[in-house]
Amino acid sequence: MLEFLLALLTTATVGVLLIPLLRSSAHSTERIDHDLAIYRDQLSEIEHERAAGTLPDAEASAARIEIERRILVAADHAEKKIASEPSSAVQRFLPPALSLLIPLFALGLYLQVGRPGLPASPFQARIAPVEQDQQPTVAQVLAAVRARLAEKPDDPEALSALGEALTVEADGTVTLPAVDAFRKALALQPGDARALYYLGLHEAQSGDSKAALERWRELEARSPPNAPYLGMLRAEIARVGGAPAPSKEAIEAMAKATPEQRQAAIRGMVEGLDAKLRENPAGRPEDRAAWLRLANARKVLGENDKAAEAFAKADALSPLDTKTLADWAEAHVRQTAPGAAPSLEAVAVLERLEKAEPRNALALFYLGLAADAAGNKGEAVRRWKTLLALLPADAPIRGMLEQKIKDAGG
Amino acid sequence: MRSNRLLFLLPLLTLLVMAGFFGWSLLSGRDPASIGSVMVGRPAPALAAPALRAGDPALTDSLIRSGKPVLLNFFASWCAPCLSEHPLLTRLAERDGVTVIGIAWKDKPDAARAWLKKLGDPFKYAGFDLEGKIALDWGLSGVPETYLIDAQGVVRLHFRGPLTERDVSDRILPLLKAGS
Repeated sequence: MLEFLLALLTTATVGVLLIPLLRSSAHSTERIDHDLAIYRDQLSEIEHERAAGTLPDAEASAARIEIERRILVAADHAEKKIASEPSSAVQRFLPPALSLLIPLFALGLYLQVGRPGLPASPFQARIAPVEQDQQPTVAQVLAAVRARLAEKPDDPEALSALGEALTVEADGTVTLPAVDAFRKALALQPGDARALYYLGLHEAQSGDSKAALERWRELEARSPPNAPYLGMLRAEIARVGGAPAPSKEAIEAMAKATPEQRQAAIRGMVEGLDAKLRENPAGRPEDRAAWLRLANARKVLGENDKAAEAFAKADALSPLDTKTLADWAEAHVRQTAPGAAPSLEAVAVLERLEKAEPRNALALFYLGLAADAAGNKGEAVRRWKTLLALLPADAPIRGMLEQKIKDAGG
Repeated sequence: MRSNRLLFLLPLLTLLVMAGFFGWSLLSGRDPASIGSVMVGRPAPALAAPALRAGDPALTDSLIRSGKPVLLNFFASWCAPCLSEHPLLTRLAERDGVTVIGIAWKDKPDAARAWLKKLGDPFKYAGFDLEGKIALDWGLSGVPETYLIDAQGVVRLHFRGPLTERDVSDRILPLLKAGS
C-alpha cells in the first residue's frame, strides 16, 4: 500500500517538474513581449493626454524619449538573453531527462534489492512476541526464590539462586546482599559451583582478580568435564586473566583452511597443551580438567594410546566418573585387534567401569573376551548372556555374540 | 589579481593544518576524551551537603579535613558505570578501611537510597546533591567521579569515569599507604 502511495507521489512530483521544464524554452522570450505591450500602452497614453491638452508638448516628448530609451534597453536585454539561452539539445533536454531517469533508476534499484511483498512490521507487533517468549523476569524469579526461602531459610540451592537473581537484577554486578546469599549457600553446601563462580566474580569486580582466578581455576579442576557452566567459566577466566582470545585473523584463517590444514592446526594445539601439561609439576589438581580435555581431543583425533594415557593422568589426580571411565575404557579397547583379548590396563579400567555400572555393554563384552581368553568360560558366557539380554532385537552384533556364547560352550 | 589567486590556496592550507593536527593526535598518544582536572594538587573545595540517609547528620567540610585521607565519590542510581565501580568502593571501604564519602548527584534521594539498599552501602557518610550545585565547585563533568583527598585536605587524585582494579591497586592504595 505504502509503495503505491509513494509511487503516486513520485509520479505527481515528476509531472509537476516536467511541465515547466518542457515549456520553459517556449516561454523564455515572452517577457519582452509583455514589456513591449506595457510601453506601447504608455506611449498611447501620452499621445492621448497630449491631444487632450493635459500634458504640455515639451513634457510629452521628454516622456516619449524616456519610454523609447527603455524599449531599447529591454530589446538589448532580450537579445542577450537569447544569446545566452541554452541552445544545444543536451542542455535543453538534460533537466527533464534527469527528472525522469532518477525516479526510474530508483524504481529499478528497488525492484532489484527491495522486497515489495514483505509484510509490514509495526513496532508494537515486534516487541510483543519477544516479551511473551522470554523466560520469567528477574522480578518473578526473585519473588519465587524469596517465597522458597521463607519456607526453608537454609536451602542452599535457593540461597544460591537468590544471589544469582540479585546479580542479574543489578545488571551483572554481584551486590553485597548477593555476596551474603552466596556465602551462606557455600557454608551450607561446600563446593556449590554457582556460589563459587559468583563469589569469584565478586572478587574480580572488587579488584581482586588474583583471588577470583584462583577460585575459578579450583572450580574448573573440580568440575565434571561435562558441566554445563564450564564454557562460561573458562571464558571468564580468560577475560579476567587476560589470556589472549584467538584473534579475528586467526579465526578467519581457521575458517578458510582446508580440512588437512585444520587438522594440522588442531594437532598443533593438542601437542601444545600436552607439552604444557608435561612441563607443569606433576600432581597439580588444577591440571585435571586440562588432562581430560587433552584426552578427549586425542580420542577424537584417533590417538587412542595417548588418549588412554591422558585419562590415566587425570584419574591419578582424582578418580574419574562413570562416563569418563567409559571413554577411557573405549580408548583402551580401540587399541586391541578385533577378536583379541583386551590388554591388562584395559581390563583394569573395564573392571572399574563394570563396578560403577554393572550393565555397561562395553565392559560386559570386553571383560567377557578377557575371561574367555583366560579360560574362565563360565564367566565369559555369563557376561555375554547379560549383554545379549540388554541388546535390542535387531542389534547387528547379536549373531556374533550368540556364536561366541556357543563357542564358549554356553 | 595575484593576491586573489593566493586566496585559492587557503582551503588547501586549512586542510593541511587539520591533517597535521589529526596525525599528531593519532601518533602522540593523546587521549582526546581526557579533559584533565584542575582540582589535583589544590585544597579541596568546601563540602556541605544534606545527608542521604535519614537520621544522619549533614555532610560538613570537617569530614574532608579530618586529618585522615578520604575518598569522595559522586554517583547516581541512574548511572550504569557506577554499578561497575561499586564493588571496588565496597572493597576499599571494607577491606582497606578507607573512609568513603558518597554524594548522589542529580538523583532523587529515594532512588539513591533504594539503589544503595539493593547493592550494599559502602559509604561512611552519604549526602545528596539534587541540583548539582555542590558538583559545580568540584568541577564535576558527570558521574561517576572520584576524588582522593589527603590528610591535609588537598585533592591528590581525580578520576573521571568508573574506577578500575588498576586505579585502585596502582594509584589509590599506594598513595594511601604512603600517606598513612
